[in-house]
Amino acid sequence: MAAQSITVRGLSKAFGRNTVLRGVDLDLPAGQVTALMGANGAGKSTLVKILCGVHAADAGEVRLDGRPFSPSGPAAALRQGVVTVHQNINDGVVPDLDVASNLLLDNLAEGGGLFLNRRRMRAEAERIADAVGLKIDVTRPVAGLPLADRQLVAIARAMAHRPRLLILDEPTSSLSLAEAQRLFALIDRLRQEGVAILYISHRMSDIRRLADRIVSMRDGQVSGLFEGKPLDYSGAVRAMLGHEITEVDITIPPPGAPMFEARGLRLKPEAQPFDLVLRRNEVVALTGLVGSGKSALAEVLYGIAAPEAGDMRLDGAPYRPQRPAQAVAAGVFLAAKDRLINSVIPQFDIQQNLTLPFTARHSGPLGLIRRAAERAAAERTIAAMGVVCQGPRDGILTLSGGNQQKVVVGRWMAEASRLLILDEPFQGVDIQARRDIGRRIRESAFDRATLVLCAEIDEALEVADRILVMSEHTIVGAHRNESIDLARLMAEVAGAADRTKEPA
Amino acid sequence: MTSLSPTDLAIRYGFLLLMAGMIVVFSVLKPAFLSPQSAVFILQSVAITGILALGVTATLVVDGFDLSIGAVATSAMMLSAYVMVIWEMGALTAVVLCLLMGAAVGLINGLLIVKMRVPDLLATLGMMFLLVGLQRIPTAGNSISTGMVLADGRTATGTFAPEFLMLGRHRIDFILPDLVPLSVVVLVVIAVLTWVFLELTRHGRVMYAIGSNAQAAALAGINVAGYRVLAYVISGVMASLGGILLAARLGRGDVASGNNLLLDAVAAALIGFAVLGAAKPNAFGTAVGALFVGILLQGLTMLNAPYYTQDFIKGAVLVVALVFTFALSGRSGRARR
Amino acid sequence: MISRRTFAALAASVALAPSLALAQDAPAPFDNPGQVNIALVRYLSTGDFFQAYLSGVEKQAAALGVNLQVFDSRQDAALQADMVDQAIALGVDGIIIQHGLTESMKEAAQRAVDAGIKVVAFDVNVENPKIPQIEQSDRDLARLALEAALADNGNSFVAGYVYVPGIAPLDRRDETWKKVKADNPGINEVAMFGTLDNPIANSVANQARSVLSANPNIQVMFAPYDEFAKGVKIAVDEAGMSGQVSIYSADISTADIQLMREPGSAWKATAATNPAVVGEVSVRALAMLLAGEDPGPQVIVPPTLITQAMLNELDIKNMEELGAKLPAFAHADVAMTPWMKLPPR
Repeated sequence: MAAQSITVRGLSKAFGRNTVLRGVDLDLPAGQVTALMGANGAGKSTLVKILCGVHAADAGEVRLDGRPFSPSGPAAALRQGVVTVHQNINDGVVPDLDVASNLLLDNLAEGGGLFLNRRRMRAEAERIADAVGLKIDVTRPVAGLPLADRQLVAIARAMAHRPRLLILDEPTSSLSLAEAQRLFALIDRLRQEGVAILYISHRMSDIRRLADRIVSMRDGQVSGLFEGKPLDYSGAVRAMLGHEITEVDITIPPPGAPMFEARGLRLKPEAQPFDLVLRRNEVVALTGLVGSGKSALAEVLYGIAAPEAGDMRLDGAPYRPQRPAQAVAAGVFLAAKDRLINSVIPQFDIQQNLTLPFTARHSGPLGLIRRAAERAAAERTIAAMGVVCQGPRDGILTLSGGNQQKVVVGRWMAEASRLLILDEPFQGVDIQARRDIGRRIRESAFDRATLVLCAEIDEALEVADRILVMSEHTIVGAHRNESIDLARLMAEVAGAADRTKEPA
Repeated sequence: MTSLSPTDLAIRYGFLLLMAGMIVVFSVLKPAFLSPQSAVFILQSVAITGILALGVTATLVVDGFDLSIGAVATSAMMLSAYVMVIWEMGALTAVVLCLLMGAAVGLINGLLIVKMRVPDLLATLGMMFLLVGLQRIPTAGNSISTGMVLADGRTATGTFAPEFLMLGRHRIDFILPDLVPLSVVVLVVIAVLTWVFLELTRHGRVMYAIGSNAQAAALAGINVAGYRVLAYVISGVMASLGGILLAARLGRGDVASGNNLLLDAVAAALIGFAVLGAAKPNAFGTAVGALFVGILLQGLTMLNAPYYTQDFIKGAVLVVALVFTFALSGRSGRARR
Repeated sequence: MISRRTFAALAASVALAPSLALAQDAPAPFDNPGQVNIALVRYLSTGDFFQAYLSGVEKQAAALGVNLQVFDSRQDAALQADMVDQAIALGVDGIIIQHGLTESMKEAAQRAVDAGIKVVAFDVNVENPKIPQIEQSDRDLARLALEAALADNGNSFVAGYVYVPGIAPLDRRDETWKKVKADNPGINEVAMFGTLDNPIANSVANQARSVLSANPNIQVMFAPYDEFAKGVKIAVDEAGMSGQVSIYSADISTADIQLMREPGSAWKATAATNPAVVGEVSVRALAMLLAGEDPGPQVIVPPTLITQAMLNELDIKNMEELGAKLPAFAHADVAMTPWMKLPPR
């Protein structure tokens, strides 16, 4: 039963100077679900892309049932029995075609006869759909199906190849609870049929339900392998997030008066409501896995999304922003994550990027910008943040990632705010930039409430007075950043604190 | 950044040098080319497309596009003729109604794009067809001129108001008597205003931010939808202003699609990307681009080059300008997206 | 279907009752014109000329009392051929093909003839001996205008010429210009230009300004298409040269009359065929075929010379007055038979 379906040895891959995989060893036994955990950038997707034939490895070897496996492309991988269902559902289906054509798409693409026999196609498609418990009219176009059915179509299509390895990349991220249950039942069946399954997810509840083994990845390497019941879920999370001792001493100042208060805040219909109080002169870090609801909270606070329920107050007054402009006007700023998508204006120079949210404060009658005032403000921020550049008129894209990040974070620290939210402010920056940004966050925090969202626990420990843990869209733990019980914190991140009951 | 390599120099000043070279060549071949009248005339010939091009530049800045400007211009021409010849109203009414029409079309374009989420090219293409048809409906496809017989059998007795015709025909003493037409003055004023708006005000700054990264602009608290709509309103108003000048020059309401106005205006705006290595839509570049095309056509016509060679050369210039923008200066930051 | 058709015929005959009394000697099928259906299949339709042509067709069809159906392909050659087939399928009695391309219309026209339908063609050669050609004589147009130019300016002058090759009527007018130049070596053509960029008058004005500043000695501008002439006139006015340059053109419209009559206008004369008359002649030629008579293989509508002096003398302000005060322009005595009913004047 424990036949090694797939063995990976010493797999390495680099994109330019950026090394993504550094000698990965991995076994995927037949008839077992191996859960793969890793933070963003740990190398999960690159590993998957090598297995399904999108990328070729630089070094190392993959064996499928003992034979060397190096597919020339996705089609070759599919023919040899490695089937992947991607995170983006529409990668797996052609929305404009009907279900039957989708189910038989690979056969169509492979060629064969010139003409399509509609009746035979339909019978064959129904047989495939049946095998995964998909009960729908195969003549319906896929575009009209709910998301979960589309995903089942993608899986059913994959199953037509009698796979030996099925890779599921965050398959439940857009499914409802009931839909996910249907998927889990299907995975159980496939496991019994002896298929090796690689299940990639951030959702601890999924992993608890399905995993026979857990592999944690960090920085392009396997950082932990967990087998045997009961599985050590907290250990897996710790291995994934890592924790190097960093010598940052945080002296926690006396917190000021409450600046922001939320009561009974509910971020999703099925999530538990929670309360949140953020005080003046206090830096609070909110940590949790990807998809745990950190960004959903930021969106609610910044007026991008409305909460399901709950009451928010800012400095004592009711606060319910409809759009970012209202949040900014009220003094709530958000330095967003993923700077190249959400923050950087590539055409602009440093100065223009810095002053973007506050052009009104640097302009006179008719909206004419006061160049001297703008430049002076930019130079102040450049100095305060320690941005390494020739001058404020340098193009933003000439800067290193760390310095770009200093600019888009500094943008929101140039003006006084009541609540400053920083979503992953240390994303993709080197250690020096991380220290600089963290120091600046702390030293400017006395007059406002500060909320830092970060998935990495190290970062939270470096910057925060208080650390909150989020899981399943609610706050599950709070820690003062002194002699923290890391084991408990990790357990909260892994979701151990909540309902431990296993589905029957 | 302090010392410029030859490539950087070529990117920055290449187009201006090319223009200077062109002027020298034409002046040698046809001495009449280098006279104040000739210079003013070049400005006059590009006044209308130049104003349209400045309008379309505003939409390019927010990463949009307005295909309806040619049709807006010819619709304004028909509307002004209708107001004065058939309704027999004055010049001011005609001008105000045309500008309002342009603003309304721009507003509808903007709302289609922002609220209804119709892609910009499709929304403005639809508007173009709509306007080309609409401008023919009131007169059953006929051009409007004094003396035309109306549907009810009356003869139209209204005339183009002299003040209105002045917009296209009056000349101001400048160095020489009767040298500079009013339309050129309008062009220069509009070009300066557009430049000031886009380069020196926070509104222009914010529009460039939207064009470069709309998501980041929205997260910086900017009203992205509002500024997008504003860009199309600017474009519509400018196009209707171009139509007013066109009507004042022709002195009648001509049924026309305005497609050539659109193409020339877009060409000017795209050539503008290459001026001074801007690699982005900009008012100064657009003005220079329009002038470039005007000089080229003036010189070639003086040399008796037939019209198809002129189209060919116009196209070649555009391609070269786009190569300047996208290939050569692509390293230092891309123009769009 | 039958009852509706009978009803339509009945309604038409009631409406036309007064004129029916005069039509007793009309030959079949015009003794019962409400039963006659004709189709106009157009290739070009936008612009004053085509608008006026259509009104002529409509008026003559109404005068005869026949039913007219208009198909408009809007410069789509393939669609125009399909429209002929559509008309055949509808069972019309006669078809007028207005413009189009020989290549695309030749076979469609043959199919119509094969179906027993009478066909005439205006300004398109469908290479079919059974199909009479209606033509406005472009050569005559150019000749009349140039004769006026020679009469006004003598046979030796500096000329500018507006021309875009590849457009059939302009090409025919060009032949005459070449011939006149050959016959009058004193004519010195210093510039040839032209464009069909829309709006044409504006684009031609831009070109003409360049030409005038390059060649300030031009005396005569031959612009054998009224949109060209309008553009040239704008440029001449802008250059302040209207005292020195004379414009000769072809075609006419109400707007053109206004421009020619402006004080000191450089636009001296134009030669024109009334497009409405061409439309009327097209219908009359088709009617003759339907009555079994032969209009001849070519029906040429003669042009009229209209000079600035003529317009001022008769105080003509628009096309209607032109027709009323210049009878040669209002009616062409071609494709006429004794029984033919003409539109009311």
